[in-house]
Amino acid sequence: MSIDPVSLSAILPTSEQFLAPLAAPAAAPAPGFAAWVNESIGAVNETMVSADAGVRQVALGAGPSLHEVMIDLEEARLSFQLLAQVRNRLLDAYQEVMRMQV
Amino acid sequence: MDYRAAFQISAAGMATEKLRLDVTTLNLANMHAAGASADQVYRPQRVLTQALGFGAQFGRLAAAAQAGGSRAVVVPQDKAARMVHEPGHPYANSQGMVAYPGVDHIAEMVTLNAALRAYEANVTAMNAARTMAARTLDIGGQ
Repeated sequence: MSIDPVSLSAILPTSEQFLAPLAAPAAAPAPGFAAWVNESIGAVNETMVSADAGVRQVALGAGPSLHEVMIDLEEARLSFQLLAQVRNRLLDAYQEVMRMQV
Repeated sequence: MDYRAAFQISAAGMATEKLRLDVTTLNLANMHAAGASADQVYRPQRVLTQALGFGAQFGRLAAAAQAGGSRAVVVPQDKAARMVHEPGHPYANSQGMVAYPGVDHIAEMVTLNAALRAYEANVTAMNAARTMAARTLDIGGQ
């Protein structure tokens, strides 16, 4: 009986198969970090603007009750602090990379 | 952010206590509003509250915090009018009696104080939640 020699091509993927993932058109890119930051800034800005509008309404003697406006202000402050902390972490990471020895 | 749930719960409590204060103020303001007869005088009001479940609180309840929520209802107190003998009064009846609202001054003052303290407790709880959230943002900070 004869035994077929094992060829390398039978084990390893062909170059076409190997390169296929690279050649494949990239799927729609996932929304990046920049988009998320942009979105967050927009959301935080929105909470601050709405809190400001509430303050104005209370000052004019209309609108929501005082404690609701104060709570809205606190929520806006917290979301802004969260965003500031994210920015601090990001800057720290950037500076860490800049200090890296090459 | 999940801390908003805690804020909303405190806001609902504050709204309830504010309503209690408003109603008590109304009772005190109308304490000496005389009426032509015992049926026509002001009936002192009282706030009845119904506790919302945990699930309802976390479902962004909101509705309770807004006016007309189902959390608190204002009902008239079952107090008989106070009859005072004032023959010269325009509202005096044939026996010279004038009807005044049956507002219990002492009880209203106690309600006022209790509402104030409960409101303060709600504010303290909200501040605690706020402090906790702020401390959370300190994680990993220098």
